[in-house]
Amino acid sequence: MSTHREPALRTTGLRKAFGDHLAVDDIHLTVPAGSFYGLVGPNGAGKTTTLAMAVGLLRPDAGRAEIFGVDVWRDTVQAKGLIGVLPDGNAMPERLTGREVLTYLGLLRGLPPTVVAERTDELLQVLELDSAERTLVIEYSTGMRKKIGLAVALLHAPRLLVLDEPFEAVDPVSAATIKTILRRFAGNGGSVIISSHVMALVEQLCDHVGVISDGRVVAAGSLADVRGAGTLEDAFVDLVGARTGGTEGLAWLTS
Amino acid sequence: MAHLLTPGPAASAQHMIRMRLALMRNSLRGDNAANLYIGVSTGLILAFGTIAVAVLWPAYLPLTLAAWLSGWVFGPIFIGGSEALRPEYFSMLPAKPGRIAVALLAGAFAGPAPAVNLIALLSLPVYGWRFGPAGVLIGLAAAVTTLITMVMISRVIVALIGLFVRSRATAAAVGIGAGTAIALCSNGWAPVAALGGTDTTAWSQVVLRVLPSGWGVAAVEAPWPLALAILVAGTGMIVLLLAVWAGLLSRRVVSAARGGVPPRRGTPRPFPITSGARIAAAKELRAWWRDLVRIQLLATAFSFALVFPLLLVTIDVWIMVPFTGLVAIVMAAASSANLYGSDGTALWLTLMTPGAERADVRGRQLAWLLIVGPAAVVLSLAGTLVSGEAWAWPWVLGLLPALLGGGAGVIVLLAVTSLVPGTDPHKRGGNPLSTGADETAETSLAWLVLVAVPATALPAAGAILLHPWAGIATGVLTGALSAWGLGKIAYRRLENHGIDLLNLMKHGPAPQADKPTTADLPIQHRIGVTISYAIAWLPLFPQGLAPMVMKILGIEDRVWFLALHLPPIWQWPTIIFMIALGLLMYGYAILIPIRLSSSSSVTTS
Repeated sequence: MSTHREPALRTTGLRKAFGDHLAVDDIHLTVPAGSFYGLVGPNGAGKTTTLAMAVGLLRPDAGRAEIFGVDVWRDTVQAKGLIGVLPDGNAMPERLTGREVLTYLGLLRGLPPTVVAERTDELLQVLELDSAERTLVIEYSTGMRKKIGLAVALLHAPRLLVLDEPFEAVDPVSAATIKTILRRFAGNGGSVIISSHVMALVEQLCDHVGVISDGRVVAAGSLADVRGAGTLEDAFVDLVGARTGGTEGLAWLTS
Repeated sequence: MAHLLTPGPAASAQHMIRMRLALMRNSLRGDNAANLYIGVSTGLILAFGTIAVAVLWPAYLPLTLAAWLSGWVFGPIFIGGSEALRPEYFSMLPAKPGRIAVALLAGAFAGPAPAVNLIALLSLPVYGWRFGPAGVLIGLAAAVTTLITMVMISRVIVALIGLFVRSRATAAAVGIGAGTAIALCSNGWAPVAALGGTDTTAWSQVVLRVLPSGWGVAAVEAPWPLALAILVAGTGMIVLLLAVWAGLLSRRVVSAARGGVPPRRGTPRPFPITSGARIAAAKELRAWWRDLVRIQLLATAFSFALVFPLLLVTIDVWIMVPFTGLVAIVMAAASSANLYGSDGTALWLTLMTPGAERADVRGRQLAWLLIVGPAAVVLSLAGTLVSGEAWAWPWVLGLLPALLGGGAGVIVLLAVTSLVPGTDPHKRGGNPLSTGADETAETSLAWLVLVAVPATALPAAGAILLHPWAGIATGVLTGALSAWGLGKIAYRRLENHGIDLLNLMKHGPAPQADKPTTADLPIQHRIGVTISYAIAWLPLFPQGLAPMVMKILGIEDRVWFLALHLPPIWQWPTIIFMIALGLLMYGYAILIPIRLSSSSSVTTS
């Protein structure tokens, strides 16, 4: 069964097609326990689809996902107890305030009421959501939605955090706060997976990197191994075989 | 430096029409195409029917045209007034609001509905033929002005809803209007009959000509100077509506959409310290109170339940009054059938919380019972007392628990088995009463509830026929069983298929080539299914079950029940035929899609 020596996440042969479009094609990833893992890739590479299948929110056409050795699709309940998830673009219980969302989910998970109240207070305060006490989640800004989503992921003190684009639309001050929280979490033995297409951010935070392009893993390993001598951005452009555009056409704009 | 070009006029009508047609062309795939063909065919039948009315029964022409107007008025309320061309798209164009309004109006005409309506309005020149060539000319002109007026009224209503339905009171007001309108559609004949029927001098005929839909008829009938004056007034009305609409549009694009959230005062009450189903019910109760769509739907259900029996009271028929509460239960269940669809992808949190599926389903049942139950009980007791129909007591007391429990069970079961995906609440557009879901699918789901919930009360009804008081025990028993059992099936299904529901809402139906879905029903079956849903209630309820109850109770009033007008020997066979016909149509409409999709899923799994 699960031990600390098992990887935080291991996916083998994950595959998913939407109609004719093969979004994820045979993804093998190993996220070591205690690592801060960055999943990078161009738009539409399959990052979100991979993460959704890894945490049990999207049924794969083929392949397996294990969290600390627990099969996500066989021992679903046990696996879900181990992870905190921030999916990209999903709705929340929109007609509740931030405090109500955390209280509701904490009590629903069966946490003791005093623990729920304590953690809710702290999370709202640290993430600076306590000033919006009367605002329903549906009225939150994009950045506030990310923050309440992060609070939901942290609430039950999971062993693995899976965060899809956690810094998108978040202001620099809040981003710094979130980075500090995540570093503390990882520093104390927690495992974190984030997806992003901001290379500088991944370089700054992560110790392991996986690069996905066209639904396949094109590079994975420690940050130093993947980026080699240059920057992660150079390595990334090299790996995904992209050509930076923008120098041709648009003559009417520059003349 | 960028070259400074002289731009052509922005927001031209011609471009708007082409954009509208392009949008329509691109949306014409699968389900949408079939729905369009069905809608247009139905519309054409009604349009030619209207012309037939002008030829054969001209006295009813103003009433028929008023029905077309009410379609334009209530269409946006019932089906959300989905705007293909949203004013928001054009808010950055450098043009005055009036110009954009004219262009948008031109775009609004580039669709099937105005074309079908124009055919219906050709009934005006046809009617004018009776008054000579001048009548035809006036009728033609009136057809054009009436069409523009009707479309404008519809647009103005959509704009008003988008701007002003921002509080519980306004949402409830729209709901009450809608509920009253549905009640009038089914029982509106009663007050008309009470007030003097089709006598052309009666005030109802005057009212029908004063409505914008009746101006054309009035113009055709009037001497030509007055006719011209009416036509000029019609044109003035269009100019006025256009000005109002332009003003509303320019206000709408600069006012932030609030996603159907009513304003609040003070800090919300703290969550109860509890767990499981009760905490989920607490969440759900807050959603009912804070969502304008739900408030509007509840107001529709209860106002229909109140107005429907009261209309019959105008002809001194009190038989429906004791059942006000029961009608309210069934209608409230029908408007709550898409519980999971209306919450959107928030379902992921229930799925990621170990063991939360059961609490969520039970919580939703509990919240629904708390909202509908007390009002339904009060309405039932008060209705039966006030009506003085003492025979109704066992029926009311037996069916009340049966329907409450049946409703609580059926809505969660259908919410997880027949989910209709909509737009996530925080991504909805300018209309606070639209969930972005496919209206045809939502309507057929509501019809399914209207059949399924009464069906759960059939054992209680049978017991009441055997012995009045045995019905109460049966009602309590079947109600509890339905709520418990159907709820259990629902949360089991949510546990096993919750992820499929989530991805249905996130990505839409999975396009799998070898797995045909309801959308892929052969066109003749789709038309059959739609027609069955639309009219099966007619033989089953008003022409079947209602005369059966009246015959059993020995009530002499024949009203419009076909069976009761026939010789006695034919009455029971007709009633049974009507009930069988209704059940057959519902069975066909429900079973054909299930059979086609399940037979294909067996072969692929």
